[in-house]
Amino acid sequence: MDNAIEVSGLTKYYGDLLAVDHISFEVRRGEIFGFLGPNGAGKTTTQRMLTTLLEPTEGRIIIHGHDLARDPYPVKRQMGLVPEESNVYTELTAWENLMFTAILYRVPRSERAARARELLETFGLWEKRDVKVENFSKGMRRRLSIAMAIIHKPTLLFLDEPTPGLDAQSARVIRDLIRRLNAEGTTIFLTTHQIEEANLLCDRVAIIDHGRIAAIDTPERLKAAFRRVQSVEVALEPDGQAHGPALEALPGVTTTVKMGDKWRLYTEDPSALLPRVVRYAEEHGLRVVSLNTLGPSLEDVFLEITGQQVGVVRHETEAGGGKQRGRGMRRRQ
Amino acid sequence: MKEGWLQRLQNEVAQAWAVAVKDVKVYYLRPGMIMFGFLMPFFMFFSFSVRREMAAAQGVARLLALTVFFTAAAAGPFIIPLERRLGTYDRLLAAPMSLLTLLLGKAAVGAFFAIGVSAVALIVGVVAFGAPIAHPGLLTAGLLVGSFSFSALGLIFGSIPTRNPGDVQMPSTLLRWGLLFISGVFIPLEEMAPAARAVAYLSPLTYAQDLMNHAVLGAGLLTPWLDLLVLLGSGLLFLLPAVLMHRRSRRLGY
Ligand SMILES: Nc1ncnc2c1ncn2[C@@H]1O[C@H](COP(=O)(O)OP(=O)(O)OP(=O)(O)O)[C@@H](O)[C@H]1O
Ligand SMILES: [Mg+2]
Repeated sequence: MDNAIEVSGLTKYYGDLLAVDHISFEVRRGEIFGFLGPNGAGKTTTQRMLTTLLEPTEGRIIIHGHDLARDPYPVKRQMGLVPEESNVYTELTAWENLMFTAILYRVPRSERAARARELLETFGLWEKRDVKVENFSKGMRRRLSIAMAIIHKPTLLFLDEPTPGLDAQSARVIRDLIRRLNAEGTTIFLTTHQIEEANLLCDRVAIIDHGRIAAIDTPERLKAAFRRVQSVEVALEPDGQAHGPALEALPGVTTTVKMGDKWRLYTEDPSALLPRVVRYAEEHGLRVVSLNTLGPSLEDVFLEITGQQVGVVRHETEAGGGKQRGRGMRRRQ
Repeated sequence: MKEGWLQRLQNEVAQAWAVAVKDVKVYYLRPGMIMFGFLMPFFMFFSFSVRREMAAAQGVARLLALTVFFTAAAAGPFIIPLERRLGTYDRLLAAPMSLLTLLLGKAAVGAFFAIGVSAVALIVGVVAFGAPIAHPGLLTAGLLVGSFSFSALGLIFGSIPTRNPGDVQMPSTLLRWGLLFISGVFIPLEEMAPAARAVAYLSPLTYAQDLMNHAVLGAGLLTPWLDLLVLLGSGLLFLLPAVLMHRRSRRLGY
């Protein structure tokens, strides 16, 4: 059997709120499977169901051939779990945290110390082994929490957004480590809301939003969709609805959306579009108040893939944005 | 990699033990634990005992019942919601051990604390006030069984689906006070009106007090075996709602 995880019809209601809506997918043994979606998409909820922490409302989860609802015990021994928040015991030292986890996961007594030492060295924490974790930085805690998740050499490792909030250096260390674990045969289930991270790491990516999966494919093939929803955002003075058709007529623009005082121009090639926008402003005697290029947002990727109109859905969950998008949307035919 | 049931049992015991030892290390110095666990029984003791003339041994028996009761029952409602908030509880829930093992480990934490605090109370009583102990063996058994039972009582409140220890403190304190005031701790059973005594039998603390009377003073109203049995039975019974509420938490997502 080649699948590490098989999920069918998985659903979770929190009261009336439908957080995960009948999703089905498989994760193959030995792959890095990305679970990509914006905030509130249902990623953590799904991962918590896969790791027995949350009871599904409906649906079936089979891990390594065991039905999780009926037979969780053998599966739990093979799973490692790195949650969203580094859940380490801050009153204990790094060493004590690892030893405790080793007992919980039944690492044989004779192997515990050696494993802990090896991990602490790999993660650059060996010098700090006897320091209480309350004195650790965020990155060190994250590394320790990953070390704790793999001390029993799991064959299936779940990571919930392992890198946000870390500096580039720490994030790279963690990504390298994920690759290495995978090369050694560990199946990885990686939850993230960073498109770039999914691109860098994953063999296949599922895109989830509002509790539903829009697509599962290789990052390479999803990239086309990512590219189509890049954009240039411009604010002009004086502003007016009349700019809409004119901006949309610029070469390379696929869609224009009015957002407050800004126009968002979707394009596959933002850098080529920038000078055209500037020229448009010059030719019409307009002042460019602001001009930005934006990478693909997950919401947009999701809409693009599901064939809906980009820019029409509420965007308050968009990462880093929080802006409400206008509805003055046009699509070039 | 099939393991036998004996191996599995051995593992589960080791896991419960690790959970308990870890919790003792992590939580004994927390203000919430010190306040509700370590100081409360002494407050209770002094506020209800100062005006009464009492022999040292009587005082020790009462204080032991109170420490076992309050300290043991304080751990669960404090530690579990806190661990839920910090996310460390997920680590325990995801680990390859049964829920019962986890709960027994958590029950052991309260029991350890309670035994520690009552040992202090006992030493002070014996050394400073010269209280005699009638049956040391019975005393030991009583402290062990009593602290397990009340620790399991605390687990019921600790299992309420919440991430905030404050949500749980209120109901658990109310219940503990209720069980305290209907019990035979402050008014000896034999002095109670029959109706009051019937109510007192509903409180497991009554049996703990009677047991301590047997152990320290050498005399009680019930038989010590019955006391032990009731305490043990109620402790096991308390695990049931704790298990059910953990199931509920798993549905709600806490
Ligand atoms: N315990 C809970 N009770 C009620 N609603 C919840 C609970 N946990 C999550 N939700 C809701 O379920 C939805 C999905 O949440 P989830 O945490 O799975 O999203 P996510 O994809 O992990 O988001 P993020 O990127 O912010 O971590 C959200 O609307 C969230 O508010
Ligand atoms: Mg999440």
